[in-house]
Amino acid sequence: MTQRISWLWLILLLPSLAWTAPNPRLLLPEFSALAQKATESVTITLDPSLLAMAGRFLDSNDPQDAATKEVLKGLQGIYVRSYTFDQDAAYRESDIDAVRNQLSAPGWNRLLETRSRKSHADVDIFIMTDKNQAIGLAIIASEPRQFTIVNIVGAIDLEKLHKLEGQFGVPKLDVDLQPAASSPKK
Amino acid sequence: MKDLESQLRAALRPAAPREAFTKTLLAQISLTRQPRTTLRRTAWLTASLAATLLLAVGARQHVQDLRNRESGLEARRQVIEALRMTSQKLDLAYEAVKNQSASETPGA
Repeated sequence: MTQRISWLWLILLLPSLAWTAPNPRLLLPEFSALAQKATESVTITLDPSLLAMAGRFLDSNDPQDAATKEVLKGLQGIYVRSYTFDQDAAYRESDIDAVRNQLSAPGWNRLLETRSRKSHADVDIFIMTDKNQAIGLAIIASEPRQFTIVNIVGAIDLEKLHKLEGQFGVPKLDVDLQPAASSPKK
Repeated sequence: MKDLESQLRAALRPAAPREAFTKTLLAQISLTRQPRTTLRRTAWLTASLAATLLLAVGARQHVQDLRNRESGLEARRQVIEALRMTSQKLDLAYEAVKNQSASETPGA
């Protein structure tokens, strides 16, 4: 009887355990009001099927395509929202709060936070790890006339991302990108 | 001898067939010819239909291939654009880190 009750508890708890599992996919708002104000907006939503399709059109003989193909391996999604305005302060920080709040959830760690007085650009890089493997990456870049949110979902191989240096102008970061060395959550 | 000859001639002289016989024969001929024409027509129709069907399937496949190719190229473009933007923002962070390190390092 006791065993039966234990099983019942386990069955009842399973959905809640699944619900609390960290999810590296951010729920990005529509930002429709901002899109109307923006002079340029970029919305990229690449789910696993589209990533697989894109992979088929990357030429392995081309160095840039080959590097991109390597990065795409294990990725389950790339989501980008970027808005450019023709004047300063066209958006409020509160517009991005919905996204920032999600990054304070368990599993996400702030990897890097930069505040530039020179360019007035703030960049926050968050990473979600599971068993020492990066499974999610989020970048929030706020500039006076632009804000960009990047969310990469999947087994991100930071070494491979590093190998993209020079391909897309990815710089050699002097910060330690090893997930284990990432700073604790904000 | 001559009598026999004349008898044979009389017996084998050409004679017009009876009207009923002619009618029956013509009816038989038309009956045997009609199915062949119909068969040929049916064969042509089937072949035309099959060819049209093949063409339609081929055209549809071609359009589908073109659409798939367009979608694939668009997805590729988006992947490259997304990675370009990611790298751009990483660069922004890198610049900020570099500037900060330079300002913190004495004599830099």
